[in-house]
Amino acid sequence: MSQQKFVEIYNLIKEYPNPFGEDFRVVDGFNLNIQKGEFVSLIGHSGCGKSTVLTMLAGLNEISDGGIIVGPKEISGPGPDRAVVFQAPCLMPWMTAYQNVQLGVNNVYPHASKKERQQIIEYALSAVGLKESMKKYPRELSGGMQQRVGIARAIALRPSVLLLDEPFGRLDSLTRMELQDVLIEIIDREKLTAVLVSHDVDESVFMSDRVVMMTNGPKAKVGEILEIDFERPRNREVIFKDPAFFEFREHLLAFLEQRAHLRGDIRVHSRGNTVGYSTDAVTDSEAAMVAH
Amino acid sequence: MANKSIDTIKYGLLRIIDVSGFTIFDPVVRLLFGEEPAKQTSKILKYIVIPTIFLFVCIWLWASIAPTHKTKSGQVPTPSQVIETVETNYRQYEREQEKKTAFLTTGSERDAQIKAAKERLKSLEEESKAAQSELTKVEESSLTEIENNLAPFKKEIEAIAAKLKTLTSSAKTEQTALADAIAAGTAKPETLIQAIADFETQKEALTEKRSELNKQLTEAREDPDALKAARLRANAVANEIQHTNSVIDHYEKKNREYQVNELMTKADAAAALASSSKDPKDILKAAKDQVRNTKKIEDVQEREYAPTSTVFWHQIKRSIFTVFVGFVIAAVIAIPIGMMCGLNRIAMACFTPIISIFKPVSPVVWLLIFQIIVGAFFPDPENHPLFVLSSTLPFIQDLGVNPAMVFSACTVAMCAVWPALVNTALAVSSIEQDHLNVARVLKLGFFDRLFKIIIPSSLPLVFAGLRISLGVGWMVLIAAEALSSSDGLGKFVWDEYQNGSSFSFANIIMACFIVGIIGFFLDRLMICLQRLVSFDEDGATV
Repeated sequence: MSQQKFVEIYNLIKEYPNPFGEDFRVVDGFNLNIQKGEFVSLIGHSGCGKSTVLTMLAGLNEISDGGIIVGPKEISGPGPDRAVVFQAPCLMPWMTAYQNVQLGVNNVYPHASKKERQQIIEYALSAVGLKESMKKYPRELSGGMQQRVGIARAIALRPSVLLLDEPFGRLDSLTRMELQDVLIEIIDREKLTAVLVSHDVDESVFMSDRVVMMTNGPKAKVGEILEIDFERPRNREVIFKDPAFFEFREHLLAFLEQRAHLRGDIRVHSRGNTVGYSTDAVTDSEAAMVAH
Repeated sequence: MANKSIDTIKYGLLRIIDVSGFTIFDPVVRLLFGEEPAKQTSKILKYIVIPTIFLFVCIWLWASIAPTHKTKSGQVPTPSQVIETVETNYRQYEREQEKKTAFLTTGSERDAQIKAAKERLKSLEEESKAAQSELTKVEESSLTEIENNLAPFKKEIEAIAAKLKTLTSSAKTEQTALADAIAAGTAKPETLIQAIADFETQKEALTEKRSELNKQLTEAREDPDALKAARLRANAVANEIQHTNSVIDHYEKKNREYQVNELMTKADAAAALASSSKDPKDILKAAKDQVRNTKKIEDVQEREYAPTSTVFWHQIKRSIFTVFVGFVIAAVIAIPIGMMCGLNRIAMACFTPIISIFKPVSPVVWLLIFQIIVGAFFPDPENHPLFVLSSTLPFIQDLGVNPAMVFSACTVAMCAVWPALVNTALAVSSIEQDHLNVARVLKLGFFDRLFKIIIPSSLPLVFAGLRISLGVGWMVLIAAEALSSSDGLGKFVWDEYQNGSSFSFANIIMACFIVGIIGFFLDRLMICLQRLVSFDEDGATV
């Protein structure tokens, strides 16, 4: 990871005050650098703090200690340079799909002409395949279509980092695959930098360049990092047939099942250097080394 | 194609029913369009027919129970009596309208109308004569009937009185004899006491019977129905004659054109007199008179008919107008303050004590406070700009805006402000965090956030609050009008209560229904508005 950093998360700590004892640390010393154009997934068990890290990166959650630098400067508070796609579509029910996307565009491009803004909005909506439904209200759209509007709203802002907070968590599996394809197509085309929080192993492997595995909370941090070197643009058919896909998948599952509770130095794994079910369980020496 | 357009009509109607909240008529419409007749008929039976029967049962209960309860202000009115008063009151309104047209009619039309009215009067007078003679006849016959009815009671009462007399005298002699015997030592004192006690019980029994008979006598003395009916008829004709006379009056002496003409001839005569005179004093006086007369004529020309206040529709209109003024004041105050409280915890903390203390205060107290405080702004109501302005505006000028109305409206506003305020604060503070997060990420400015997110998302709850406010306001208004003597339904009820004529009680019941029905429609109106602004429902885009 010696390349130039675009996003730098340094020793990130999130504490909640506890009136009856020591402060409750959800995230303790999370370090991560992200390059420009890279797609990083955060994966871990429920409640491990991956969403906390993402909301801190979005600026929606206060940072207790440490810092986050995006591009040239440290972040303070939320902003459209870090657009978020939430788990729920979070559309304004009283606005059409077009107006929902427009909400942010007007603010981010204050000097653009009306025509230019219209082009931006229409481009974003057609990128997610909603060219025909621009004038529809959220209640007239299915859950998947609503989430598409959510994605369009985020990409229309041309963010430096696109933050995806379990964006497909509430969708059925068919719609989820459909939307993953839509999203990966946009990301590959626009070369967007993105951070995805997910607990779907297949999804993270399919979409990311690197998967960051987090240890169990409280005091969660980066446990391991898996580098995924499939070619971009990515194609579901090809990748899901690749034997390496299963290797990565096994590695992630093994981490989640067996090593997520262990703490130690961050290890970086890549193709051929993975730990799967078949290879072995945690060795004694390894366990001794990371004993806390 | 034809099918499609019928469907459009059908679903349009269903949508209207849905938005207006009369979903109860949904099966009727569906049945009319032939959709699943069996199902719709059963629905109609369950939700329309049975409730209607229940309503009739209630009315029947009312009709049968009401006459059994006698009160100080007469019998409790039955439904038919209430309907009668509605008709009477409506007739009053029509009469006012007739007088108004009479007042404004001009030219040859006026002459024709006078002729027609006089003819009507003639026939009415004949009718009246007939009714009077009928009445005297009935009176005579019923007098003997009443006497006949009373005779047996009178006889019995006389008999009882005689019995009482004999009983008293015999008891007296018996008791003195016994007392003598006791003094002589031939009898025991107990016998005397026993004798006195016996006498008392007998006397009591007789007196009771007598008072019972007296009561029956009073009842029997009541006029027979035929007499009552004849009297009513005669009264009605007399009433109509009086009205026709008044109408003729309004065509003649009180007519506007007539008055103007009258003044003009007077002025012309004065002018003629002045031109023929040589005395400078006379000339001066004539010139002054001329100026005065022109002014007078102008005044009369602009004069409008001054109607007596009637329930239909003057008082109803005035009440509705007052409640809307109060409601608008309440909304204008409540919504911005509510938004502020919802957005800012400090504002909420500032307003909470005020809200909690003033919310439970009775409208009566507010009315008195406003009469003092707001009353101070109108030391001279006749010339106050507010009332001068309101007397020039169309529609409003007929209502007669006065300080009492302002006090009532202020009281309504004061009491209606709380539900709207609390609901608005709740609506704003309970906006979904997700929506606010979106606003934060998009870095929306304050006004964008306010107008694009906060206001639209809080509208449904705000309207729910406004709906409660209007209901509260309407309830408060009736009390406020009664107390402040602001012409309207409340004052109508109060006046009827104080008036105590034979129709008063029925009038009060009528007012009760009018208030209820208008309240119902105001509520419906608010429901419609609420449904139109709520985005969760399908009705949002209607």
